[in-house]
This record gives sequence, structure tokens and C-alpha cells, in this order.
Amino acid sequence: MRYVEEFRDAELGRALAARILSLAEPGRRRKLMEVCGGHTHVIYRYAIDELLPDEVEMVHGPGCPVCVIPMGRVDDGIAIAAREEVVLACFGDMMRVPGSERSLQEAKAAGADVRVVYSPLDALRIARAEPEREVVFFAIGFETTAPSTALTLQRARAEGLGNFSCFCNHVLIEPPLRALLSAPELEIDGFVGPGHVATIVGARAFDFVAAEYGRPLVVSGFEPLDVLQSVEMVMRQLAEGRCEIENQYGRVVPDEGNPAALAALAEVFEPRETFEWRGLGEIERSALRLTDAYAELDAERRFELPGARVADPVECQCGEVLKGAIKPWECRVFGTACTPERAIGTCMVSPEGACAAYYNYGRLSREEQPA
Amino acid sequence: MSAAHDSGPSGEACITCGDRALPLQVVAPGSEPGLARCADPQGREEEVDVGLLGPVATGERLLVHAGAAIARLEGER
Repeated sequence: MRYVEEFRDAELGRALAARILSLAEPGRRRKLMEVCGGHTHVIYRYAIDELLPDEVEMVHGPGCPVCVIPMGRVDDGIAIAAREEVVLACFGDMMRVPGSERSLQEAKAAGADVRVVYSPLDALRIARAEPEREVVFFAIGFETTAPSTALTLQRARAEGLGNFSCFCNHVLIEPPLRALLSAPELEIDGFVGPGHVATIVGARAFDFVAAEYGRPLVVSGFEPLDVLQSVEMVMRQLAEGRCEIENQYGRVVPDEGNPAALAALAEVFEPRETFEWRGLGEIERSALRLTDAYAELDAERRFELPGARVADPVECQCGEVLKGAIKPWECRVFGTACTPERAIGTCMVSPEGACAAYYNYGRLSREEQPA
Repeated sequence: MSAAHDSGPSGEACITCGDRALPLQVVAPGSEPGLARCADPQGREEEVDVGLLGPVATGERLLVHAGAAIARLEGER
């Protein structure tokens, strides 16, 4: 297939790995964070970690929306779904995310009308087809996903659809990155930046990483060679003493992003004062809610919600995994009490979660780490 | 099954995340304004919201995430 095979060529991969090795300083370990869960998944699916020299350690960042949603918000979604009149439409990845007592999947088994959709527009179509039901879309995702929700809300508002609303959990990429970069214990030398978020916000939106925090970042595509080339570009910057924002994914990502998407986001959403991130705690202006112009479509204003803050299970170390402080296999319940089939922590739920990526691709212990 | 539902790089990836953005080709106008009928390389079709891109033409390749086209791929190199 055009555009795919050339990005999975094994020979090119080995050549890039050799270049990365040549850029590594013997004995000096560089920690690079891939921000996006999609990159984590690619790294383990294609065993990119095994191509990298010992001097390069990939640390997995907080860019998996399912992994960072706090339990209290899952409980709120379940409370909405429990209402007799409600159809709760959500992405399939949300179904198994544990709330404090149960998941949406378990709520569905207990009789709640929870339906998996593949887009916000699918949820809108349910509302059109079933005018006697209250259809609530459980919106999650970073700036990549939020424009699709915004377009659907614009459509619902233009139609005057009275039985549709949105439970908004969209989050922003810059505030958690700033939180990570400000943490004194974090030792990240450079970043592989999220390519599809950058499609919306633009590569220039990451300028602060270099300008304010002195770390290089390379916006990366999602094929194996994209990720390897991005690692090579970060390592080259480090070797040459440069600190810049570079765009490896220039075939898709414009410097300034998608202006129509940014305009739609600005019309429909506004930042919340604060939002809780699993493992990272409260981060100011890190999530979106509906503006007053869209109040009638806001499920948080339409329904009474518990709104409780729920502490993560004590045995779960997702927070430390999300901050890159420990590897998934270092968590005390990894692969034993916590598996993809029955997850305790969110990082084991989504295929993009670092724990699920490790578990699914056999990185089960220190012994099974590549030499 | 429509295009975007199972054909990520692994077939099991998470829809909320960036790597579920898929290259699809416009094959026909959609059923309402702002939508376009698109197909993946296997010919599986779905309707995509193209409101972020403005008018699209049959044959154009788009990057689609969660039911919305977020970029044109004509400039892909």
C-alpha cells in the first residue's frame, strides 16, 4: 500500500538504528519521552525498543486520554447512564475503564443503555433516530478528537436537537506537558511529540518546550520509521547541542495547525479552571467544557452528577507509570491482579496504555527487557 | 464494518488516540451538507464530517479521526 510500506521497511529501520547508535554518547543514557499513547503502542508493536541502543530509554508520557481520566468522572458517566431515559454513547475504549464501583461495561450489564459509537456524529444519529430518548455523548480525547465533538455540537445546535447532550472530558496537551516539565524529579532529555494533536494545534504550539524548558521536541508520525526517525532527530539535536522544535511529520502537520478546527474549538469549548488527571493530580486550565452558548447541550448542566473526587486504588501505580517514574512491570500489581482482561488501572485498559502495551507485547519483567 | 473501525496499524488501537487517524479517499458526496462518503484502501466506506477542511473533491485523500477529517493528504511526501 502506498504511504505505508515505505514506512515499515526493515532495512531502513536498521539503518536509522545505526545512526541513532552513532549519535549516542557511550555510557550516557538519554531519556526520551513519547508523549502520545499511539507512539507507545507503535514502539512495542514493532519492537522499536529492541532496535535502540542502551543509551536511549523511551519513557511513556500521559498522552492516552483513557489512561488519564479520573475515576470520579467515570462514576459521573455511569450516574448519567443509570437514568431511565438516557442512552449513553461512548467510544469502546471507555467501556472497561474502572469507576470506583464498576465500569460502564458492568453498568450496561446491569441494565443501563450504554452504546459504543465510533464518532460523535454516530451519537447524534442515535438522537435523531430515537427522539423519545435522551442521548448523551461521553466525550474524551485530546485536541485531535475535540474538533469532531465540536462539529457535532454545532450540528446539533443548528438542528435544535433537544434530546442530545455532551458529557465533556476533552483535555489539552500543553498543561500536562508543562506540569511534567516543571516536576523537579523528572529527567527527560527530549520529546517525541504527538503528530495528530499537532495536525490541529500546529507544530509551533510546542515551541514552549524548547524556549521555556530547554528540551528538544520532534513532532512525529505514527509508522515505525516515523518514530525511529524522530528518535534519531532528537538524538541528533542532543549530540549537536541544539534545542529546537522540529517537524518529522511535515507531510501532514502544518506549522500553524488547522485554523477551522481551532475556530470550532474556540466557539464550542472554553478551558475549565482546573481538571483532575489520573496520576498527575489537578492541573489548571487543562480541560475543556462547553461555553454558555452551548449550555443547552451540556450534560453537566442538564443532569445532576455526583461530581465526587475518588482516590485511585492504593495498589495501583498508574500515576507513577504516567509520570515515567517507573516502568509498567515495576508496578506491584502488573500482570497479576491487573491485566487487560481485568484492569485495576487505566494504563492497562487502553491498548495505548503503557501497561497494556508492555503486557500485550511480552515485556513482562526486567528479565524480558531487551539487553 | 466501516473503514475507521478496525483498520488502525494494529486493528486494536484506541479510537481516542492519534494513531487511529486513518487515510481515507473521498468517493461521493455525503447524505447532508458538510459530510462526504469516504473509503479505505479495502473499499470499506463511511460518512465523514469534512467541516474542518471546506469543500472536498472525489478522489482526494483525507486523514480521518473519530469521524472527522482533520487534514488533507495531497501534500504527503
